[in-house]
Amino acid sequence: MSEPTTSSAGTSVRRKEDARLLTGNGRYVSDLTLPRMRHVAFLRSPLGHARIREVDTSRARAMPGVDAVVTAATPGFAGVALRAQSALPSYVETDQPVLAGEKARFSGEAVAAVVARDRYVAEDALELIDVEYDELPVTVCAWAPPQHPVHPQAPDNVLLERTFTAGDVDAAFDRADVVVERDLTTNRHGGNPIECRAGVARWEAADRRLTFWSGTQVPHIVRTVLAELLDLPESNVRVIAPDVGGGFGVKAVVYPEDLALCLLARQLPGVAVKWVEDRAEHLLAATHARDHRYRLRAGFTADGRLLALDADVTCNVGAYSVYPWTAGIEPLMAGGLLTGPYRLDDYRATVRGVATNTAPSGPYRGVARPASVFAMETIMDTAARRLGISTVDIRDRNLIRPEDVPYRMPSKLVDDSGQYGQCLARALELFGLDEFRAEQQRRRVARQPPIGMGVACYNELTGLGRAASAGPRMPFRTGHDACTVRVNPDGRVVVFSGVTSQGQGLETTVAQIVADGLGVGYDDVEVRFGDTTESLWGFGAFSSRQAVIGGGAANLAATAVKDKVLELAAGLLEAEPSDLALHDGEVSVAGQREPRLSLAEIARVAYLETHRLPDGIDPGLDATRFYDPIRGAFAAGAQVATVEIDRSTGQLRILAWVCVEDAGNVIHPKIVEGQIAGAIAQGIGGALYEHLVYDDAGNLSTGTLLDYLMPTSAEVPDLVIDHICEPAANPLGVRGVGEGGTLAPNAVLAGAVADALGIEIDDLPVTPAAVWKGLT
Amino acid sequence: MKVGMTVNGVGEQVDVEPRRTLADALREDLALTGTHLGCEHGVCGACTVLVDGQPVRACLMFAVQAEGASVVTVEGLAGVDGTLHPLQRAFSEHHGLQCGFCTSGMLMSALHLLRTEPNPGRERVREELAGNLCRCTGYAGIIDAVVAAAAELGTTLREP
Amino acid sequence: MKPGRFEYLRAAGVAEAVRALVEAGGDGKLLAGGQSLVPLLSMRLSRPAVVVDINRIPDLAGIDGTDGTAPSVLRVGAMTRHAALVEQRSHPLLAEAARWIGHAAIRSRGTLGGSLAHADPAAELPAVAVATGAVAHVTGPDGERTVAADGLFDGPLMTALQEYEVLTAVDLPVPSRWGFAELARRHGDFALVLAVVAEVDGRWRIAVGGVAGTPQRLACAEALLNGDGATPAEVAEAAATEVRPGSDVHAPARYRQAITGELVRRALARADAEVMS
Ligand SMILES: Cc1cc2nc3c(=O)[nH]c(=O)nc-3n(C[C@H](O)[C@H](O)[C@H](O)COP(=O)(O)OP(=O)(O)OC[C@H]3O[C@@H](n4cnc5c(N)ncnc54)[C@H](O)[C@@H]3O)c2cc1C
Ligand code: FES
Ligand code: FES
Repeated sequence: MSEPTTSSAGTSVRRKEDARLLTGNGRYVSDLTLPRMRHVAFLRSPLGHARIREVDTSRARAMPGVDAVVTAATPGFAGVALRAQSALPSYVETDQPVLAGEKARFSGEAVAAVVARDRYVAEDALELIDVEYDELPVTVCAWAPPQHPVHPQAPDNVLLERTFTAGDVDAAFDRADVVVERDLTTNRHGGNPIECRAGVARWEAADRRLTFWSGTQVPHIVRTVLAELLDLPESNVRVIAPDVGGGFGVKAVVYPEDLALCLLARQLPGVAVKWVEDRAEHLLAATHARDHRYRLRAGFTADGRLLALDADVTCNVGAYSVYPWTAGIEPLMAGGLLTGPYRLDDYRATVRGVATNTAPSGPYRGVARPASVFAMETIMDTAARRLGISTVDIRDRNLIRPEDVPYRMPSKLVDDSGQYGQCLARALELFGLDEFRAEQQRRRVARQPPIGMGVACYNELTGLGRAASAGPRMPFRTGHDACTVRVNPDGRVVVFSGVTSQGQGLETTVAQIVADGLGVGYDDVEVRFGDTTESLWGFGAFSSRQAVIGGGAANLAATAVKDKVLELAAGLLEAEPSDLALHDGEVSVAGQREPRLSLAEIARVAYLETHRLPDGIDPGLDATRFYDPIRGAFAAGAQVATVEIDRSTGQLRILAWVCVEDAGNVIHPKIVEGQIAGAIAQGIGGALYEHLVYDDAGNLSTGTLLDYLMPTSAEVPDLVIDHICEPAANPLGVRGVGEGGTLAPNAVLAGAVADALGIEIDDLPVTPAAVWKGLT
Repeated sequence: MKVGMTVNGVGEQVDVEPRRTLADALREDLALTGTHLGCEHGVCGACTVLVDGQPVRACLMFAVQAEGASVVTVEGLAGVDGTLHPLQRAFSEHHGLQCGFCTSGMLMSALHLLRTEPNPGRERVREELAGNLCRCTGYAGIIDAVVAAAAELGTTLREP
Repeated sequence: MKPGRFEYLRAAGVAEAVRALVEAGGDGKLLAGGQSLVPLLSMRLSRPAVVVDINRIPDLAGIDGTDGTAPSVLRVGAMTRHAALVEQRSHPLLAEAARWIGHAAIRSRGTLGGSLAHADPAAELPAVAVATGAVAHVTGPDGERTVAADGLFDGPLMTALQEYEVLTAVDLPVPSRWGFAELARRHGDFALVLAVVAEVDGRWRIAVGGVAGTPQRLACAEALLNGDGATPAEVAEAAATEVRPGSDVHAPARYRQAITGELVRRALARADAEVMS
């Protein structure tokens, strides 16, 4: 394979991670074996809501092979809790205990933990723990009257409520020619990475050091909270996220189990305690998402201009406010981005997060927007039908245009993209709108299975800087990351980046950025991340921030090192730095073809032959830079698809799918397309198959993968993916692409069914049974 | 119980409880952690290995049942000198993996498919790989990779 | 998700398996393909003290009546894997039904006997057994007996097999005409509803899966079909009115009922049932 050596950005170089992952040599937390390793299993509440009268662990403790059994009453565990904070006025702060103590608030909440010789024995011991519960009334639906408060601090179960307002909504409705209303719900589902959560904790008592290997997306956040709750200096806590088998937001949360492992490690000095979550636990107790209700009223002019939007949004946040994102993560995102890529002055949205006896809701790829985009696009489709204009035209009339940018959305976020119309136009061109309409008509006449077209436009807020990440008013801002670029004495480059990777290929992308920024070959750059002791700082992976923020920091650090290399070389060559260039690891003088110095020679001077250092230049060749884009980069996107429906069974087949996104400059085309394709597949899963269902008693009815259905290769169609490239105002001109793909499928598929059959989809997922019901 | 089996061509012995799954024996007793566990109830396919040439969920078979069997795991795909198997190469070239967690199972299922059906079309690949969940890729890269590997392997087979 | 402790016995013959079950005194479980049992063990929903592995019993796997002549009844050993059912040519309905089971790695292990003994109401093979009037051969402490498929299934995951009995083989009549239709949420999933129609000894039988605790014969629809002049649509409608399915997370009862009619219609179409013209 011939690989480009310089200027690798824009080419799909071989991924650095592939060689080990393809040969079974990945280093996932679940693969880790350490001396004196013990295994942890959690006893989980079988009840949705119950007072815990007594936990008797004596039989379990006595079992051979068992090292420890702990409960909320165990010294060291009592009183330790995660407390997600926000300064929003209406926010009710609540605790999430490490182990449920006084009561269990959802089915699956950990009540006790066993440490044993192996996982088999640990699970044996779970069967010997006796818990006495007093059942309490259960609330699973966030818009049903609460049965019994989940937390005493919030008698109505509302953990947060906020109203977004802009302009004068009532006056705008008075001007409207038509008003449409919809009442919509979206289905609870979750990330379900193929590798579940996993952690290994070890406490070295002699030097009071804790090491925590964790499949987390956010190692530095984990370190900070562990240090705080375990009362340790941050430097004594090392969090390592090695290869991680998918994250999607589920692993961007700090969980009680994480804390429990570290507390257990403290009780068993020198012993490495390991927990690998199994799928049943994952479905029960890892964060869920997207259990929302949208009540919308929108006013339009006769020619389809959106004048007013009034929304009431309820998000089921589950039993706890997740750390650190709080119960506000979904409602605030829904309210802030509901209006999407549309121009609107008059807006009112009340959003609330309501606690229930279900697993906590947390970030899942797209955070709330797959639901809010569904709501907004459904309103657009409804208005189009009412006004007798096409679903494409109504969007065209309302999209934020290039000339509107920077556009201040009604929620005050500033959209810097404006490429929505371009994305939509390109998508329709690839889709073949006229051919579709002709075929649709032909089938109608021929009485063949109907087809329908769905379309959705969306804006993905990526790479949120400190101003844009201020929304949830957490006690910190996630706008920045650090990156260190170091040239070793042999001229090879090591990068310590604050990003983390759960499959996004960041090892590759960051290497490309540094190779280009510095002027060295891609193969000469090694990227290390995920270890809080190695990299200075990074918030990790979420909100499609990695390319923008992590990439920005890598570019700045690489450029800084390059400046020093050229300065040093200038001294050695008695030239001006501005006359020198570094390419492919060689310094050359402007106008001369032959390189004059290799980076290896320069590095040797910087570290070893310091007697040759030019005056005024310090030894060493490295730089650390932070980057914070302050705002963020909006990425425009549009998706269009065709579905065919079997009238007799309601079964739906996807015939075509087109997605066009503005990713700005594309660093690694295959990685970017892979992100988009994976996101769309997850979106399709959420729209058609995936549904976490609780019965009224608070039991999860979909507790295995036989009932929780993720799409397979047979369900995900071939996708047509294209880009338009409008560089963003950041060092690399990139826009994030991690989440956008998930935003449209709900809307696209519901819209396509509506188009095919003339029925309205109010509730997700769009199952064959639901379509069939709409037909009868 | 003592169990003898051949793993990737090498004779191995493990001493396990009867309840230990083949997956756990491979991962923990033989330190072959390339075989992954994603559900432990047969659905995700991450643990797929070949036992006597047949694709098997290693989470649904006990190690004691593999007595005398020949097991091939992902670690057995590349050559001893590290040369990647054409399927592995195709996965890399076509971006058939992201986090890599489903990859071992995908490779083993694909290997079996290409051995039984040397020239499956795209639709057949889609159908046959439906027993392996991938949460990252949306499958496009995986299907591209298997189709490409089929073409390459087909050509090698035809060569004298 | 790890199984509890059990003792493991690799039976060398059916008699030894039966003896082991008897000795376990009701606390033993046969292990065939393991594709249903092992998940239950791992979730600790099943806690046998003894697991009796019947995978290495000679002669339990295999298909008789595949000697080139077209047999009217195919005898299939209990340990015959789904993959082998797909491969064989003597019983096209059986092959078609087995193709719908799960995925390659499930079919390579799962067995006909295991599927019938497990008795999942939405499984393909039990419905085929009922639709074709299959007969199961069973060996227990008191010797051998046969159980007709119509009497084999008692309810979800419940059969007429006694505690210590081993299903050894199944006689599956080869229908002269047949149709199979299934609807599942995803490729390879257990059926929401499936329908099998089979003409055996000149009479049509219909069995549907996923609509009751067991595969259900549809007496009225069969009567219409075996009578004169009913159209496929009438048969299908009769089928839909004859079932009383329940609801679950995948589909409400009314939907299952409605698509029962549709699937019977499709199965009949596949059966090319010209008798009804
Ligand atoms: C992911 C997945 C998808 C699947 N999809 C489908 C599907 O679509 N359709 C479908 O029908 N099945 C499906 N199955 C189940 C599969 O077909 C099983 O193989 C079958 O249900 C049980 O057969 P087994 O040989 O694996 O039996 P085992 O799991 O070994 O045993 C099942 C039960 O039967 C008993 N038993 C087994 N053999 C005998 C015997 N000879 N005599 C008496 N008792 C016996 C066992 O003791 C046990 O109680 C799926 C399984 C998985 C894991
Ligand atoms: S781990 Fe075996 S199939 Fe999922
Ligand atoms: S690559 Fe991550 S699950 Fe497939």
